[in-house]
Amino acid sequence: MVLLFSPFFLGVITRVKAFFGGRVGPSVFQPYFDLAKLFQKKCVYSHTTTWIFRAAPIVVFASVLAVSLMIPFGAFKAPVRFSGDIFLVAYLFGLARFFMIVAALDTGSSFEGMGASREAFFSCLSELTIFMNFVTLVLVAHQISLSGMIGAEIPLSWKLMGPTLLLVVSSFFIVILAENCRIPVDDPSTHLELTMIHEVMILDHSGVDLAYMLYGAAAKLFLFGGILVPILLPIHTGHGLMDTLIFVVGMLGIAIFIGLVESGMARLRLNRVTNLLLIAFALAFFGFIVRLWRG
Amino acid sequence: MTTWIDTSCILVVFLALSILATYRITGMIHIFVVQSFVLSFVPFFLHADALTGRDVMLVLATLVLKAIVAPYILFWAIRHMSMRSEVKPFIGFGTSIICGTFLIAGAFWVASSLKLPGKLISDLVIPCSLSTVLLGFMIIVTRTKAITQVLGYLVMENGIFLFALSLFDAMPTLIEMGILLDIFVAVFIMAIVVNHINEEFEHAPASLRRTKMGETL
Amino acid sequence: MLSVLILIPFVCGLVVFLPMERRLRVRILCAVSLVHAMIVASFWKVNPPSEINGFLMLDAIGLIVLSIVSFLFLSVSVYMVGYFHHEQRRTRTFVACLLLLLSTMTLVSVSRHMGLLWVAIEATTLFSAPLISFHRNPESLEATWKYLLVCSVGIALALLGTFFLAIAAHDVHTLLLPVLLSGAKMLSVNWLKLSVIFLLVGYGCKMGLAPMHSWKPEAYGQAPGMIAALMSGALTQCSFLALIRVSQICAKTGLSEFYASILIVTGALSLVAPAIFILGEGNIKRAFAYSSVEHMGILVLGLGLGPVGIFGAFFHMINNAVAKVAAFLAAGSLAQKYGSSRATEVKGVIHLYPVTGVLLIAGFLAGTGMFPFATFHSELMILNAAVLSGHYLLALVYLGGILVMFIGVLRIVLEMALGKPTQPVLPAKENFLMNAAIAVAMIISLGLGLWMPDILTKVLNDAVALVRI
Repeated sequence: MVLLFSPFFLGVITRVKAFFGGRVGPSVFQPYFDLAKLFQKKCVYSHTTTWIFRAAPIVVFASVLAVSLMIPFGAFKAPVRFSGDIFLVAYLFGLARFFMIVAALDTGSSFEGMGASREAFFSCLSELTIFMNFVTLVLVAHQISLSGMIGAEIPLSWKLMGPTLLLVVSSFFIVILAENCRIPVDDPSTHLELTMIHEVMILDHSGVDLAYMLYGAAAKLFLFGGILVPILLPIHTGHGLMDTLIFVVGMLGIAIFIGLVESGMARLRLNRVTNLLLIAFALAFFGFIVRLWRG
Repeated sequence: MTTWIDTSCILVVFLALSILATYRITGMIHIFVVQSFVLSFVPFFLHADALTGRDVMLVLATLVLKAIVAPYILFWAIRHMSMRSEVKPFIGFGTSIICGTFLIAGAFWVASSLKLPGKLISDLVIPCSLSTVLLGFMIIVTRTKAITQVLGYLVMENGIFLFALSLFDAMPTLIEMGILLDIFVAVFIMAIVVNHINEEFEHAPASLRRTKMGETL
Repeated sequence: MLSVLILIPFVCGLVVFLPMERRLRVRILCAVSLVHAMIVASFWKVNPPSEINGFLMLDAIGLIVLSIVSFLFLSVSVYMVGYFHHEQRRTRTFVACLLLLLSTMTLVSVSRHMGLLWVAIEATTLFSAPLISFHRNPESLEATWKYLLVCSVGIALALLGTFFLAIAAHDVHTLLLPVLLSGAKMLSVNWLKLSVIFLLVGYGCKMGLAPMHSWKPEAYGQAPGMIAALMSGALTQCSFLALIRVSQICAKTGLSEFYASILIVTGALSLVAPAIFILGEGNIKRAFAYSSVEHMGILVLGLGLGPVGIFGAFFHMINNAVAKVAAFLAAGSLAQKYGSSRATEVKGVIHLYPVTGVLLIAGFLAGTGMFPFATFHSELMILNAAVLSGHYLLALVYLGGILVMFIGVLRIVLEMALGKPTQPVLPAKENFLMNAAIAVAMIISLGLGLWMPDILTKVLNDAVALVRI
């Protein structure tokens, strides 16, 4: 499911951006073609790299896939769920990021080292925010599993905890942009700019490795969307098909919204990204306070 | 209607926080306009079931004075200014956001020990107004430009206004209008002084520009 | 009658915006102040009836403040006739703001509603701010800005305090003072405590109590002498009136112990802080500003020290205002003649301008509370109150503060009055009206120090009775 749809999600964002840029843009299936092309290529490795560099793409891809097992999509229940799986989710994302950073450092390129240090710095802030949001959601739903948190209780919570959830959603959205290197934080469409973060780290990957990396990034974006949609659209018709349809519509909506944000905003200067992430944290913290206040 | 009031309250605090994190003065004024706009509709939500002419009057007066006239005056005051962004705040932007969150937490903590004698539609009004007052205070204290300090004052006033809405019946309309008018005149006079400061500073020869004076600008 | 008293200066304030001859405006100000003073004088005989559903009413405390305001405006406007004889500046905004200030200050002293009181006090801040930047140079603009910002923020806190008071008075449903006082049992004590703190901080800011006094030396140092006199003599008393109103409410709700303890701490701070700053000061107007902070401390202390202290505080309000008029007007004349008020540049006043020099020394003695001026008596009363209530340490701090202040100001005044003139200044003629205004204030201060009229004692006692439990 995740593997199938995540490139499509990316494609929609690109298409929306193109539309607002006054262009037709590539087809929404373009990411599939890109990936297919990359999977057919061979890898080129630098002499200075070690096994870490080779292992990183697999680890990244595998951990993202593992996370996808714990997130429910529409009518499909999450295959794996247990109390406390939110920590596993957060740490699997952490693992993926760790390997990406280490691999970037492994190349010994100063360019990639710079990207790695930025990534490490920003992820410090965004992970803090994610945890803050998770804590608030746990307090709202009284359940420590991801499926339970964003599951059946949400419609009821909107009535009682509307403001809190609103804050969580907006804070989470900023985190999505930051974690997945979307525009106000990073520019996914450039490779040769000194200010970019994510793209610079995967500069030395090629062929199948690059495909894994890109696929992993697309899936991650999709997963974050998958966490956000059930909170935003807490509608359960009980009918499997309808639920899935609602979920898909929600995902499309988020993709379009991200596209809108990307077309409407310019990339922030690097030192202001911190402020954006701090605002996200402030929002999350504020949500937490409001939850405690109401509780 | 409680949800709407809750949302407005939270928006007001969040907008105050974003003013604290904004660099450009024009951007700050725009955020302030949005904040005043949100604020001026709170009386509608508060008395949605039985709207009186007084509510409508209050909403209109707030809307005109705070969301239209005050920003207009502020834009007038900075029309000749060459430096349009806050250059050297006493505390960095990142630190001020963190401090802001702690202030919000503090405001909620203080508010938890204050119980209103009467019934209130939303219990978020008091902590949120306290937070906004504190954030406005922080903008005044940490920013160095005169115009930003005026904005801080206005944010603070917005917080107080939010508070005032929760005790609607204790103040006669005349006094309420007097308060609004006073705030309006305050902004007017502050803008004139800012304007004089700018003129005086830009015409003064460089040798006369004292560092202290530059900071006040 | 009360609303007429507010409206006359207000209307005239709008009228002077019309184009007219420069000095005519000052004459109008003079005439309005005279009429105002005469009406106020008639209130000492017959108390005017309350107006607008009891929103406006004159009680003994209000009468004291109103008389101070009226007297100060009269002497300042007479002084200004002389001042503008030499000064070639535009007077439109200046005189208009003065008249509007007179109107709003009158409103402060007669308002009986805590919300209306706030509106009026905020208005006084706004109309007094443009007066400070009379000389339109960077320094005075900076002073104006500091004054405007600090006081507006302080006043905003007082507004919050007023709203807290409204919550405390939820069961009374109004902020009219008489209703509040009669229904004092129904006030919620917790909210009232919070409101008292905010009101004290807010109005204290406007009054210039330490540690919120930072605007004072700047504003008084840059403002022309007559504005500094008005601000230190009348404007601060208006905020003090608000604190007295709070005191009235506290006395009825059994919070007077709580309020008194805050007042005593603030008062002691306001005595110590300016005494530290005065020692490095070289500017006469700034020195008088620190002295003003100290006197505000004395007033607040008196209010916190029981009936004897309260009587002393009311008496000191009058004395301090009169003394400050003399001191600041004398300093203002010198600033106009020398173009500066720093002791290093203004020297040998007594040789060049003998009358002004003598008045400056007399104003200084009255301002710092020396015998035989009336300030001496009222300061003694408050000291007496401190000793009677067993605050011996406080009495010591009080004496120390006054002593240091005396030495600090003495140093500057002596240098200015008796030092050798540094540069050959062409002695401009002393203006009779300016000196007369100062001299009258001096004579009143001296007269009150030697003999207290019965009617004044009666009014002061009435005022104390209003604040007592």
